Amino acid sequence: MNLEELEKSVNLMEDIQEIENLQRIYAYYFDLQMWEDIIDLFSDDAESVEIVDHGLFLGKEGVKKMYWGWIGKGIRSANQPWIQFIITQIGGVVDISPDGKTAWGRWQTWLCEAKPFGAFPKQEWLHGYYENKYVKENGKWLFSKLHWNNTFCSPFEDGWLKTPLMGLMNYHPTVKPDAPPTAFYPYPSGYHLPYHYNHPITEK
Amino acid sequence: MATLEELQARITRLDDIKQVEKLQRIYGYYLDYFEYQKVVDLFSDNCESVEVADFGVYRGKAGVKRFYLDLLGGKPPRVGELSIGMIMQGVVDIDPDGRTAKGRWYCMSIEAKPTISLHEGELRQLWGNGIYENEYVKENGKWLFKKVFYFLNFRTPYEDGWLKVPVIGQHGSSSEVPPDAPPTNYAPYPSGIHLQPHYKHPITGK
Repeated sequence: MNLEELEKSVNLMEDIQEIENLQRIYAYYFDLQMWEDIIDLFSDDAESVEIVDHGLFLGKEGVKKMYWGWIGKGIRSANQPWIQFIITQIGGVVDISPDGKTAWGRWQTWLCEAKPFGAFPKQEWLHGYYENKYVKENGKWLFSKLHWNNTFCSPFEDGWLKTPLMGLMNYHPTVKPDAPPTAFYPYPSGYHLPYHYNHPITEK
Repeated sequence: MATLEELQARITRLDDIKQVEKLQRIYGYYLDYFEYQKVVDLFSDNCESVEVADFGVYRGKAGVKRFYLDLLGGKPPRVGELSIGMIMQGVVDIDPDGRTAKGRWYCMSIEAKPTISLHEGELRQLWGNGIYENEYVKENGKWLFKKVFYFLNFRTPYEDGWLKVPVIGQHGSSSEVPPDAPPTNYAPYPSGIHLQPHYKHPITGK
């Protein structure tokens, strides 16, 4: 291996490491309810963000609408009692494009949440898969597309078999998506979120 | 093009991250099996402290031994006692000099433990979650723990959940194996208080 090939290998390993950090830091910011810091993890030329059945939000403006307007309710880094977003990031499969400028990542997530539904605080288990796209700008990796596909959102007391979905979350009085959800088919639909990667052995 | 020295430095950093990740995960596996002497041996002789939930601060290697060997390991685990801690989502940063590092991790716990004290009472099945903000030090080419800090988010009976019973079976500092100082940051759900990360924002640098 010559120096040039070695540098390419090091670049690849560093890129994967930075993207893994980006994805994990994203989730810790969610736990910390630091919505502006999440928005700053997205490229100014971001394609889209889609979470549960909130719908598809396009561009950086859409990213702001999703995290600040809808999820964050326009509240800055609040230490709000009773609200809990523990969003774990598990099983990352990260692939860097040959030119080293873009990347894809698949992850799964297991959540321990608590938040008010109407007047009542509730606790729930959630699971889902991410298929995200990243872009390298000025030497730093950013989100260019984030899609969180929800498998279930179940009351702690019931579980996914009894109550796969606590209720629809597809309505916000003022924040509107650019398009309906592209793939909201929770358990027990049997829906499989497509992989960004080919089979590593057969390459199909 | 990068020089060989530059590439060596970059590979060393990547290696260091992997070694620290391994150390943290191995720590978790030893805890699962109540192998406290092995846990103690993962700490530097010059370590700062260990602090877990509301047990308080145990300082130095002597404190680490008192916490793991005397307090947690004071009596053998009972039949049926289960202590699974899944160590996840590491964000590890190696300091520029390559000799110290910091790491943030989630731990999701699946336990069967007595909840009256560490050793007494009926076994309950529990869900737990918390965040580590740990520090590491490289000595003689090996990474060791310099500081372990665990912020408990919840520890709840399987049947109840964090909303109904945020914490069960944590009763403050031990009188038999007292800590060197009271807990510095114990604020489980639903306090709304969060453990701040060691790292700066990767894009804005703030």
